Order: sequence, then C-alpha cells, then structure tokens
Amino acid sequence: MNDARRSELETLIARIALGDREAFDALYDATSAKLHAVCLQVLKDRPEAEETLQEVYIRVWQSAARYASNGLSPMTWLITIARNRAIDRLRARGSRPATAPEDAAAMIACTAPGPESATIMAEERRMLDECLSRLADAQAGAVRAVYLEGVTYADLAAREGMPINTVRSWLRRSLLRLKDCVSQ
Amino acid sequence: MTQDAPLTPEQIDQALAAELALGLLDGDDARAAQARAADDPVFACAVRDWQERLAGMAEALTPVMAPARARQGIRERLGHSQPPLASDPTARTPWWRGPFGALAGLLAVAATAAVLWLPGLQDAPATPDFQARIMSQDQSMAVMARLDGRDMEVALENGTPAQGRDWEIWWVAADGSAPVSIGLVPRDGVLRMTLPEGLEPSADIRIALSDEPQGGSPTGQATGPVMAMAPLTAL
Repeated sequence: MNDARRSELETLIARIALGDREAFDALYDATSAKLHAVCLQVLKDRPEAEETLQEVYIRVWQSAARYASNGLSPMTWLITIARNRAIDRLRARGSRPATAPEDAAAMIACTAPGPESATIMAEERRMLDECLSRLADAQAGAVRAVYLEGVTYADLAAREGMPINTVRSWLRRSLLRLKDCVSQ
Repeated sequence: MTQDAPLTPEQIDQALAAELALGLLDGDDARAAQARAADDPVFACAVRDWQERLAGMAEALTPVMAPARARQGIRERLGHSQPPLASDPTARTPWWRGPFGALAGLLAVAATAAVLWLPGLQDAPATPDFQARIMSQDQSMAVMARLDGRDMEVALENGTPAQGRDWEIWWVAADGSAPVSIGLVPRDGVLRMTLPEGLEPSADIRIALSDEPQGGSPTGQATGPVMAMAPLTAL
C-alpha cells in the first residue's frame, strides 16, 4: 500500500469518526471486496461471509473514532477487524466456546509509528511472501492456516498427529523464523 | 520439528505477541496477554507489528465483490439513508442535506415563532395545516399535497407518469429514518387519505416523489430516481 492510498484511507476513517456517511460509502467502495475475500477465506461460506462483512462495517462505523490511537495502518486495522469477526463466527459454529482474538487490535497501547517505521513495515510486507516460501511447506501452511482459516493449536495437533505442546513450540519457532526473515 | 535451543526471553515475548495477534491463546493465557498489551507499550507494539506483518497474507488475497444487498443491509442496520431514494443525480450533497433541509429548518423556526408570539394563535389547533408543492426543475411535473389535520390530499397538477410507471409519494422525516411511502400520485382526481400512525406533520417533513414501476415500488423503498422534493410549509 502506497503512502497516498494510506493517507486517503486514514482521511476517510477520520471523517467516518465524525459521522460522515459519504466517507463511509467511499471506504466501503475502496475496501469491501478485499474484506469480503478475507471473510470468505476464513468462513468458506458465501452467506456467512456476507453477513460477517456487514458486521465488520458496522464495527468500523462504530469504532472509527478509536482508530487513530491504535497505531495500525488503515488496511491492517480493517483486515484485522474482518479476520477476527470471521474467526469469531467460525468458532461460534462449533460447540467450542468462542475465544476469538476479539479486538485485541483495539486494545493494544502502541503509539503510532513514525514514517520511518511505517516504511520498514511496508518493506516487511513485501518480504512476507518470499519468507513464507523459505519456510518448510508444513510450517508455511500452518502459519497461513492459522491466520487465514482460524486454525487453532488443537486443530493443528489433530492434523499433524502431535501433542498440543509440541505443535505450539513448532509453530512458535516457525513464526520467529518468519519474523527474522522479514526483518532482515 | 527438532527441538532447538530454548527460546530467549525476547523470543518468548515475540512468540506470545504473535499468538495474541493470531488469536491462538485461550482462557487465562489470552486474558493475561491482553492485559499485558494494555499496560506494556513494548509488548503492545510487538503485537501491532505482528498484526501488520500478518495482514500481508490477507492483502495478497484476490478481492471478491460482495453483493449490493450487503451494503444495503449495513445502511439499514445503521439507520442510515435509504440509498435508492438518496441517489438523486442532480444533487452533489445527499438530498436530505440540501437547501430543502435548511429551508425546512427556517420554516420550522418561523412557525414556532409565529405560534409563540402571535396573539390569537395561542388557541390555534395543535396541528397546523400544511402544504407542499412538489415540482420538477423544468416544472413539467407538479404535484400539490395539502394537509388538514391528519387528512391529506394529493393532486396531480402537471405532467403524467410514463406508460407502465407510477409516481410514488414519500414522507421523509428529518431524523434520517426510512422514508415512508404514503401512496401513488393519482393520474386524475385527488388522492384522499388519513396519515398513518407515527407520521406527524411538521415543517421539517419533506415530501418526495420517485418514479416507480406501475403500482409502486416493489420493495417498500424507493427504487427509481427521486424526481422532486419539497418541504411541508405551514399555511
């Protein structure tokens, strides 16, 4: 995401925080297809993805005023809301109690980065694909499945036929390797 | 899957931040990590950085357009405008915020002032009488609406709906609630009706006309273009 687009989305979110419906429409136009793709990827069910998408934008309308304080780039903020909502719904499907990452995004107390670290972050984004491809297939697959499909440690343990603690340790190391690679 | 050297404290923090960002923690672990993110800026920034990093996977997804009804659903659930009626192509600003809005506001003030200050009007009936003349810009269409108490009359003064079309009359409140259909403009003669419950005549009500399929909007919301709109003015 280039700086112009980022600042355009930030402006829209700031206007939405003031109750500007035109800005809300413009943000929807600019971002809904991407967020819908996120919901579909997690839920793999069109009606549920569509319903979740609506919840996401209602959330955006209601919490736009708190956006500036969380330090996330606008697209990450939107994606995080969409992903977490979709995973909420996914986990509510099963009998498992919903222990989704419910708005951890909104709670973090990290002040906004300067332009320099935003640039570094953008560079890390560009490296992500490359670095995922450098992980072993199973590791990369697990990281993707956890992020894009809401897979849990218990799911991974069942899938890999390993104890949960082993799977956890393995995934943690995969994540650390990924971070080392993208921050090089 | 071999066990390497134990993780350093920094690595453990990083891994925990990643797990929080990913929603991999349960119960007490999740609550403890969330509490830490709220208190510890270094940890909070590590979580934020993971969210940024991981979002790259979502950004790489191919966009999928959502059906139009999703947007409509959002608007309805937020109590926003009713979009088909809002899409007056002649107005840059949403039509309910246009000059009609300001005019209606002024009229409301004037009406209130008149009721408060003019002696002799103190005993006037609680519901004043109103009218609205709804005209297209080129005046090829003109419709007159009159209110006497809660009795309403609507008459076509000029123009005719196209073959197979009807002009639908909408009651538009200033609070942004959904416009309410109050009937179709009669092709000849006068439409007489009593206002439904919940519709209170006042100077900040506007009457709008939209072009609809014969028999009126199939959805209960305007589907065709808004042809004209006018505020109720007190008589």
